Amino acid sequence: MEQEATDDTSLVEEALGGNRASFQLLVERYEQRVFNLIRHYTRNPVEIEDLAQETFLKVYRRLGSFQRQSSFYTWLYRIAVNTILDSLKRRGRSPVQAVEDLEAVPAAPAVASPSPSAALEREEIARITHAVLEELPEIFRTVLVLREYEEMAYQDIADQLGISIGTVESRLFRARARFKERLLQKHPEFGNEG
Amino acid sequence: MECQNARSMIPSYCDGELTEAQAGPLRQHLLGCQPCRGSAQDLKNLKRWFAAPAAAAVPTGFAARVARRAFAGDTGELAPSVPGPRVAEDGGRLLRFVLACTSAAAGVLLVLSIGVRQIGLPQTNQLQADQPAPQLDRALEELDRLNRAEKAPQAPPKQP
Repeated sequence: MEQEATDDTSLVEEALGGNRASFQLLVERYEQRVFNLIRHYTRNPVEIEDLAQETFLKVYRRLGSFQRQSSFYTWLYRIAVNTILDSLKRRGRSPVQAVEDLEAVPAAPAVASPSPSAALEREEIARITHAVLEELPEIFRTVLVLREYEEMAYQDIADQLGISIGTVESRLFRARARFKERLLQKHPEFGNEG
Repeated sequence: MECQNARSMIPSYCDGELTEAQAGPLRQHLLGCQPCRGSAQDLKNLKRWFAAPAAAAVPTGFAARVARRAFAGDTGELAPSVPGPRVAEDGGRLLRFVLACTSAAAGVLLVLSIGVRQIGLPQTNQLQADQPAPQLDRALEELDRLNRAEKAPQAPPKQP
């Protein structure tokens, strides 16, 4: 891990010095993770590629501002998340809602969480989950993606989003409650399988 | 541990955010408290919906393409205004230009066709379908004269 961080830093230096192959290597190293991340926001392959490309072009343009204290991927990841969120806003997919308003919304009444049926294929589960996530407000979707898919620690999520750990916890709690609520609305058939 | 405390710690516990010193007492509580154990199980059920799907497909040559564009000076930034409406606006301007040209061309064609029609039309109103033209009269008279001459008995040839 440490070795990879060192390698990343060297590649950044070389890219800054005009070495295109070094930058290409950085892209190759992280393209899969960036594509996977973007895929949680859109299923359109063209859109995924456009956003990934926009992310890496921004990364190159801002390479000089990369602080070596953090890992390259953490830095790149922040650019990717911001690029995705900006794009969603630009395309009017996600109406802007005040964070305070959303966090003031009471959580859904406690009902048993549905569990995906054993018969469901992995891709089918992913499709259903994606459809539910798409209907969640952006702040809830992002915190769920970072925690559940990217398996980021609360502290890393807080750093990425520029919020406190306490806010991460409360946002996650509400996001999960919203997710459960929407899932059961869309698929009441899973409600009996808890 | 009180159930209220336990419930507030369950999400952090399931997310692996607790230290062993925090997780140990909670684990003990969960073993003896069925409702709290149910809460933990509930969260685990929910987390199963986030099973990672198959990796997204990365197009072949993506990294090389991006690196080439980056070094060619492509910033990846969109123009200040949203491209969609701009394209539509440009398209609308072009459409208006094409329509103006088409209508001008149609006008010219109309004028030309009227002019051509005027040239082709006879310049007199004396020609009527029920009145034979003077040339035709003369031709008919000539034919009539020849017919009569043919039918008339021919004079016998003079004897030498």
